[in-house]
Amino acid sequence: MNRRNRWKWLVTAASFSVGVALVAAACGGGGGNKTTTTSGSTSTSSSAAGKSFALFRIATDTGTDYLDPGLSYTVEGWGVMWNVYLPLLGYKHVNGPDGATIVPYLAQSLPTVSSDGKTYTLTLRKGVKYSDGTAVKASDFKATIERDYKVDSPGVGFFGNIVGANEYSKTKTGSISGITANDSTGVITIKLTQPQGDFMNILATEFAAPLPASTPAKDQSTTPAPSTGPYMIQSYAPNKQIVEVRNPSFDASLYGGNVPAGNPDKVVWDVIGDDNVALQRVISGQDDWLGYHPIPPDRLSSVQAKYPNQIKLFTPANTYYFFMNTRVAPFNNLKVRQAVNYAIDRQALVRVYGGLAQPTEQVLPPTYPQYKKIDPYPYNLAKAKQLIAQAGVKGMAVTVWNHDRGLDPRATAYLTDVLNSIGLKATQKIVAAAVYWTTIGNQATKAQIGFADWFQDYPHPLDWFDVLLNGERITQTHNNNYANFDDASVNSQIDALKKEPTLTNAVNARWASVDKEVMAQAPWAPFLNRQFTDFFHSNVDLSCYVNHVLYEFDYSTICMK
Amino acid sequence: MAQRVTESEFTLDTAAELAAREEPAAIRGRSPWYLAWRRLRRNYVAFFFLALFLLVLAACALAPMYASHVAHTGPNTNHILETVKVNGKETPVVSPGGVINGKLVASIPIGPTWFSAGGRFVLGADQNGRDVAVRLLYGGRTSLFIGIVSSVICVFFAVILALVAAYYGGWSDFVITRFFDLFYAFPVILLGIALGSALAINGFHHFGIDIQSGSIWIPTLVISYVLIPYIGRPLRGQVLSLREKEFVEAAIAQGASPFRVMFVELLPNIASSVLVFFTLIIANNIILEAALSFLGAGVQPPTASWGTQIADGQELIVTRPWLSLAPGLAIVITVLSLNVFGDGLRDALDPRAKVKVEH
Repeated sequence: MNRRNRWKWLVTAASFSVGVALVAAACGGGGGNKTTTTSGSTSTSSSAAGKSFALFRIATDTGTDYLDPGLSYTVEGWGVMWNVYLPLLGYKHVNGPDGATIVPYLAQSLPTVSSDGKTYTLTLRKGVKYSDGTAVKASDFKATIERDYKVDSPGVGFFGNIVGANEYSKTKTGSISGITANDSTGVITIKLTQPQGDFMNILATEFAAPLPASTPAKDQSTTPAPSTGPYMIQSYAPNKQIVEVRNPSFDASLYGGNVPAGNPDKVVWDVIGDDNVALQRVISGQDDWLGYHPIPPDRLSSVQAKYPNQIKLFTPANTYYFFMNTRVAPFNNLKVRQAVNYAIDRQALVRVYGGLAQPTEQVLPPTYPQYKKIDPYPYNLAKAKQLIAQAGVKGMAVTVWNHDRGLDPRATAYLTDVLNSIGLKATQKIVAAAVYWTTIGNQATKAQIGFADWFQDYPHPLDWFDVLLNGERITQTHNNNYANFDDASVNSQIDALKKEPTLTNAVNARWASVDKEVMAQAPWAPFLNRQFTDFFHSNVDLSCYVNHVLYEFDYSTICMK
Repeated sequence: MAQRVTESEFTLDTAAELAAREEPAAIRGRSPWYLAWRRLRRNYVAFFFLALFLLVLAACALAPMYASHVAHTGPNTNHILETVKVNGKETPVVSPGGVINGKLVASIPIGPTWFSAGGRFVLGADQNGRDVAVRLLYGGRTSLFIGIVSSVICVFFAVILALVAAYYGGWSDFVITRFFDLFYAFPVILLGIALGSALAINGFHHFGIDIQSGSIWIPTLVISYVLIPYIGRPLRGQVLSLREKEFVEAAIAQGASPFRVMFVELLPNIASSVLVFFTLIIANNIILEAALSFLGAGVQPPTASWGTQIADGQELIVTRPWLSLAPGLAIVITVLSLNVFGDGLRDALDPRAKVKVEH
């Protein structure tokens, strides 16, 4: 997903046929103790028992789209709702790679998966209640998935592999036959058309967080649905303020430490549009956390000097890259794509982004256990010029695409200069961010080369290779494979790995080789993994700080001095 | 004998006054333009600002020479990882950032070197390591081109529409004035943003006109289009008044064609207003271009314009204020000089006129 637009790939995914995406084969399966990514380092405990305090205020940006779990698809929206609407499965509230570990939330345990990998069985925890005091029922889960279809949720693409889901998406009447729920036993059974290695991650998304079956099939952002998590949304004034208070029906002891009780009694999100104003509010103590706003580059040094202990640097799983459309000249020529990769000095691009980034030459970010560092295209301008000459495309006109937000236009200003320096005739085309992704994702646009970035929807390599680089998933519109990369060998490897239920070391090594193989074909010129900062008022005790691998800062576990 | 006017500090230089000053034998006919020139040449303030504007114009025209012989770079050339000698000391054009010695440090471009780096980065660099002074001069070419050309187009169509509407009246007047009203209904800046943004994606490819999306002709045409009513409407009022004058009736009585009446009889009589409008609207259009480019609906990057430069610099306004200040000052100087000169021109051409551009 783009940082502010998780929705775009799901719109695409909704249009896919599951049969195209998967190769029919039974594989793996077995017991229920499967988790996603492995963890290789220690993590900070999120436990902060006895550290409750009255109020935590946040100066957040304008990125919150909805506060309806069926509709929200931004980092900001999920950041709020992570502690409000609990799915059956979720992630550990810890720092580091361990945060990618899936744990049971509303489910009693991780699902039991059938030997053919196509049936998932879960049981609802006993005694779980919504914030309005009513009991959570197994059938609520089924109703929630069906509601996603009724509200045209951007998340429906996640569920297309469930038996009967595609039929339901057409009529939106009856029910999804692949989901059965028994309210008396709490057992939920989900049947898939094909095995799917990332299905537990999908069950851990907000789109799968149960709401009461009676929840209206329309946006509930300003009339929030009853919650299951430690907090409930008391009020939401779009673009102004979000107020969360404790959920009176929440009992943390039911969750065995997987869901924290929450330290602040009340959380207030003040929506502030300007980075500098937001920063000033946090410095002055009006707010406690600079939520999702970057510290403006030219204030970083002074803020660092005055508040050295209140800044945290973190690297969410992301890759910034230039796509090269392999269907359009001159980028249908491998030599040209390689030339671009050689011509880019990634250290220069790091400085373009203010220095808070790490250069990269591959698809997967270093936070992934499947990441194995490769260096296929060290900066070599002479070689790039030579490849352009060999390809016979010198002087060819090239249009570089980008949107108009943030620091990203600087990257294509650099790329345009680089392309001109190696013999192409490049110009830029900057379009409004609101339409950029759909514009370049439309085959009719024939975008030759341009900027793109990706922030994970969930910590699994499929979220990168299957969504962005599987040639079988190229679509006419809402295409996420901007490079139109379609390599038979890579496609078959992705399809095979998709059936792997567990990310073992061997499977991880295979993903690493896919990464290498993709970059040998150079459909992208990846250039950096961006870093971000969290900044807090001096009253905040950062010994409790948790930055989650997916949801970023966890406000529920923070402490005050 | 008529008394000579010697003490008066201010005079309208009317023909009667001039005639009174001259010896009876030397009385000559004076054209309105001559009279205007006499009035204008005594307005030293207007001439000073005209000279200032011409200076800006000349500096921008010489941008390529400055870029190649002094700064040794182009307006879009990135120098991110390079260093430059400032007072004999190697200084990075864009400083390295990240975690350095345990501290978070942001990459910041070099500030103004004020000719201590052999003419390079006189006003500093932007985050892409581009020379701000070079971009300022090239940006001026873009902004002045858009300001002047859009004014020519705008005034041309405004004059035509005003003449046709006022001369013919009836349905022609109704349609044209409703067109003016329609545009008046939208704030200029919002209409400019809407049109500029819409055309930014695919350009304009209709009626045999083919303009690519990144072309500076898009903001040029958008600006000229949205301001036509603001010139056309007051001019129409003037023509309506002139239309009833005897010299027009005389021309019609003599069988002059509508074209002749409009362009030979009426147009010269509104020429002074047109000229003043033209001067003032250049300044207005430069500001509008800057506003549209600042908001992303005008000149498209990496093409430099004063508006895009102000936008580029806003994120570094604390540590590198010259990134925004330099183009801001350029706009102030240019617009001020055009406005003061325009006012002087208006006073000279018709001291009683109240010609101004308002929207």
